[in-house]
Amino acid sequence: MLLNKLTVAFNIGKVCLPEALQVRFRYHADKVARGPLLRRYGYEEKILQRGTLPRLKGADRLCKPLYTPKDAWTEKRALFGQNDYIDILGNERLHPTRILYNIPPWLRGVGGNEFQVMLRKRNMLAKTVYPLARPTKWNQLQKRINYLYRFLNKKTKTV
Amino acid sequence: MFSCTIPKLRIIFPTARSLSSLASPSQIEPRQLAFPPKYQQPRQVWLENFDTIEEKKLAILELHPEVFAANPRVDIIHDNVRWQSLYRYVSYAHTKSRFEVRGGGRKPWPQKGLGRARHGSIRSPLFRGGGVIHGPKSPNPHFYMLPFYTRIHGLTATLSIKLAQDDLHVITDLEIPTDDPNFVEELVKSRKWGPSVLFVDESDIMPRNITAATDSVKHFNLMPAYGLNVYSMLKHDTLVLTRAALDLIESKLLTHLHKNNSVPNTQKYKLNQV
Repeated sequence: MLLNKLTVAFNIGKVCLPEALQVRFRYHADKVARGPLLRRYGYEEKILQRGTLPRLKGADRLCKPLYTPKDAWTEKRALFGQNDYIDILGNERLHPTRILYNIPPWLRGVGGNEFQVMLRKRNMLAKTVYPLARPTKWNQLQKRINYLYRFLNKKTKTV
Repeated sequence: MFSCTIPKLRIIFPTARSLSSLASPSQIEPRQLAFPPKYQQPRQVWLENFDTIEEKKLAILELHPEVFAANPRVDIIHDNVRWQSLYRYVSYAHTKSRFEVRGGGRKPWPQKGLGRARHGSIRSPLFRGGGVIHGPKSPNPHFYMLPFYTRIHGLTATLSIKLAQDDLHVITDLEIPTDDPNFVEELVKSRKWGPSVLFVDESDIMPRNITAATDSVKHFNLMPAYGLNVYSMLKHDTLVLTRAALDLIESKLLTHLHKNNSVPNTQKYKLNQV
């Protein structure tokens, strides 16, 4: 194209400098000026394409619970830990594990793995009404203890 | 001693208080420290009044440095707080194993001939609604016992930190002239205590007025001296001791720090030991 123009210029008989004949193709600016490329003509977009909020104004609230910060000063939380040092500051013969009234008596001051805790539960509850009152639970307790006894003694290494 | 012989007045009229001899500093006897410290200087604290909003400094009391100037061992305090929250914590999360789930005794479909996978029970862990393998089993206690003297050092370290940070105040008693919550709120505000305040008295029967006044304010709490603990001291910004409570706490801690036979306390914790 440029060569054509140069030959035309020579034919006319003028001396033309190259910069005078400069032809510019502004590909990007032309593309911007044409506007966005239309894709999938005729398809109606159902999803909201812009904006940060996924919900429209006036739409229903998502059904999830509203955030309510917990009250750090309810009586339970405000007085948490009271009497934990009662054997030091109060009665020396009263151990703090004896006054853990929020957990069942057979579990107060009990630590250990599942097997140890279950043995303790069985020993403590065997002479109560529990086996008769909760026969299924009692049966499941025995079954689990038997399983854990076999597993711990026959399938695992002795330390 | 003194408070045991003479019963405390629960209802005090303002006129009686103005006539009382309590306010004159010369009347207040200084504290005698048990187990006098050999090397450290005793710490000092103001004895303040509690019956008026504006503060009156009545006397200077001496505090035993072994209790109120102990090392601020943050590690020991952390051990104590961790123990306090864990030794009573029991996780009740529970899942059922396949033998605990109801049903599942019948073979769901024949072994062969249907082109389906072979199964023996609908409660197998492979099935929806079946048992859970390696799930949490209830109850799961997190109990352990912190050594006796670690707990004592936790108390002394926390008391020392409270004193050093100007968060420990000593008052005469918990008698106030009114049961209006505004009185205590104004008092705490004007003396720059708080926002949260823990009032500690010697016994667990508190005067009526302070009980009624602090009942509606959640962050003003009353506690007997035997209920004092590291967690509560840290949770509340300011610790306010009555003089009787101060005497009791100090004597109890010093007794344990100085007793000859500490073997019963330092032995390993055994279940059903007490």
